[in-house]
Amino acid sequence: MDRDRTDGGLLIERRGELGDVRRFSHEAMATVFEVHLAHPDERYAAQAAQAAFELVDRLERELSRFLPNSDIARVNHLAAGGTTQVSPSAMECLVIARHVFDLTGGAFDVSIGTGLPSLELDPDDSMVRATTDGVRIDLGGIGKGYAVDLMAEQLGEWGLEKALVHGGFSSVLALEAPEGVDGWPLTLSDPGSPSRVLARLSVRQMALGASGLRKGDHIVDPYTGEPARGCRAAWVAVPRPDTARHEARSEGRPRIAAAAVADALTTAFMLMSPEEIETLCERNPGLEAWVFPEPDDGRPGDASLLHFGDSASGYTSTSL
Amino acid sequence: MAGENEKDKGTPKAGAAGPRKLDRREVLTGLSTVPALGLFGYAWNKQRQYQQAKAEAAAAPAEAPKDLQVINVALLGAGAQGQVLTDAMLRIPGLRFRAVCDIWAEYNQKRVVNSLAKFKHEVRGYEDYREMLDKEKEIDAVVIASPDFWHAQHAVDCLKAGKHVYCEKEMSNTLEGARSMVAAARETGKLLQIGHQRRSNPRYLHCYEKLLREAKLLGRVVTVSGQWNRAVAPDLGAPARYAIPDARLTQYGFKDMHQFRNWRWYKGKGGGPIVDLGSHQIDIYSWFLGANPTGVMASGGLLYHDPATHEWYDTVMAVYDFETPMGKVKASYQTQTTNGSQGYFENFMGDQGTLLLSESEVYGAKLYRDPNAPAWDTWVQNGYVSAPKIQEIKEKTEGVTDVRESVSPDEHKVSVVLRDPYHQPHLQNFFNAVRGKAKLNCPPEVAYESAVAVLKVNEAIEAGSRLSFKPEDFRI
Repeated sequence: MDRDRTDGGLLIERRGELGDVRRFSHEAMATVFEVHLAHPDERYAAQAAQAAFELVDRLERELSRFLPNSDIARVNHLAAGGTTQVSPSAMECLVIARHVFDLTGGAFDVSIGTGLPSLELDPDDSMVRATTDGVRIDLGGIGKGYAVDLMAEQLGEWGLEKALVHGGFSSVLALEAPEGVDGWPLTLSDPGSPSRVLARLSVRQMALGASGLRKGDHIVDPYTGEPARGCRAAWVAVPRPDTARHEARSEGRPRIAAAAVADALTTAFMLMSPEEIETLCERNPGLEAWVFPEPDDGRPGDASLLHFGDSASGYTSTSL
Repeated sequence: MAGENEKDKGTPKAGAAGPRKLDRREVLTGLSTVPALGLFGYAWNKQRQYQQAKAEAAAAPAEAPKDLQVINVALLGAGAQGQVLTDAMLRIPGLRFRAVCDIWAEYNQKRVVNSLAKFKHEVRGYEDYREMLDKEKEIDAVVIASPDFWHAQHAVDCLKAGKHVYCEKEMSNTLEGARSMVAAARETGKLLQIGHQRRSNPRYLHCYEKLLREAKLLGRVVTVSGQWNRAVAPDLGAPARYAIPDARLTQYGFKDMHQFRNWRWYKGKGGGPIVDLGSHQIDIYSWFLGANPTGVMASGGLLYHDPATHEWYDTVMAVYDFETPMGKVKASYQTQTTNGSQGYFENFMGDQGTLLLSESEVYGAKLYRDPNAPAWDTWVQNGYVSAPKIQEIKEKTEGVTDVRESVSPDEHKVSVVLRDPYHQPHLQNFFNAVRGKAKLNCPPEVAYESAVAVLKVNEAIEAGSRLSFKPEDFRI
């Protein structure tokens, strides 16, 4: 992935006009993470952002399949019957990934067809057991979202609520909005033609995932092993409930990782049919999705944005 | 991590090969009752059910081997490094955490207590390590990751309370402190391992024992270089609501929260960047060369950071002289905190080859054979080094005659890979020693030699001239 790639053309609009919002950036997970913070004390804001970036670096050490001693590299080297203990974060990521795999009928598959169900996950002991050889995990489709969830939690510990966190703009978590606006103003645009804005959103306490293809890119359907066709970009919005806040976490409730779920679902929605997405959104109140189909004749400008689910995102279409 | 996932590209391995999975639409229908807001809670419970089923199915759960002596452990210092060590220890069988001590009870102490609870270690949290030693009589070993200026007192008091001790490097920010630790270990007969963890890293052990000592692949080593470069980072802060009360900060030797969080930058608290970053690697110089240095010159300065909050230099370059059994060696080392380019590595150069190694598993270890050196076929065949990656000879197609670029030496790799967290082998070595099944890889006498060599750099910067070591400086 290019480092500066914005997967699905998801961007903050008129950022310069947003009050005292400060931006901090950090390279990790082969992309750029950013924290946008509205806070009067620049030093405090910078320290908080730095603490959040150190958290991402730690997660990368645990989740990257490219580091030979990461948790995921160890999982990827398990022989049939082998077990390995992983960090609580790696376990949470795997559990969420497995859940979205089930939820989407395998359209989201961190094993890319190598057999995710062959991994037994035991969260109580944080153990992973492989029942067959050859399972290969790549958390690239969920790790950034998970990192964004944890960064936001940590910013909450620092008392920073007016914030937006994202990883390469493919995983965005909007917390409270800065002064003067009701929500963080975001745009969805055609990844093949980024200046073409398809929709405007105004969001708070909301996770957004984005997947998109630029010319020449493709995405592989784990069902068929073939490049998927028909979809140029997909976006998913998942509300971040109050229980995701720091105060609730200390009561030992499970983490509600809205950005991880949104990140994973958006990959799946690139592959699923509009009917399947419709079904999923209907049965899961709160889920909202947009799909930008590939025009049949390949000519830009002909397709219009499809929208699914009830809108909680202040969504306005700009395509007409 | 990579973005190279199903979003981007990839050749699927199964898809065509494996049995066709459930039809996607059937599955979707089957999951109709899952509320989106409970996505994770649902998944968690599902996994929990699996776990319970598995536990019921297994008559005898596969725990640690029965004859493994359980070691009761306490953590003293729950900051960033204490958390790294805890994560590594959680993967070592036969440890039972009993207590966590940190003066930042509001934040770091609570975080580690909570993360241990996830692994079913019921631990008590303490602010005062003396109270912990008084109340937790069953503790066998204490792992110390407090700020450097506390190491000596913490380690000595724990040893005298009858505990084995693993203490992070640097042993101490003063040589007096380091000497008191050696004395306490000798007096009490308890084990003291210092956290120069590369000494237990399988790749470093392989390079030292097989490549340098046995195969002598580098020939006569004449120069060594190394670095640890770090990018600019803001000073560490703390969540405002979890600030430590001033009285407690004063009681434990900190003037304020900034100094507590950034003690490494303060004289009298940390030993300066040569200790924070260089200590691990200069320790490797002495270990691999089989000698302590005979002299050092160094230049350091505060070139970038704010002197109000940075008492130590932020940039330092040092050159050591060694007289090794094979001859004289010059060894340079630099650390700076304004640009992280090329990270950290050690580079040993002999007349027959070069060894470039890093603790980072991404960089690993690379060897370059000098074209005039004897062939390494034997060492390739027995797996000491990989087969060489032949550097291609690029022909200049546009050239008039047969112009070739000069040939780079062949690159060999070391195939020893660490799959565990970086500190796990060194901690494992310590706990094996506690069980009487290993010798410490970094006992206090060895770490003291390293402390002498490293702390001298600070003196040399002050003196502005070359300082000599006497052999007796390293003995205690």
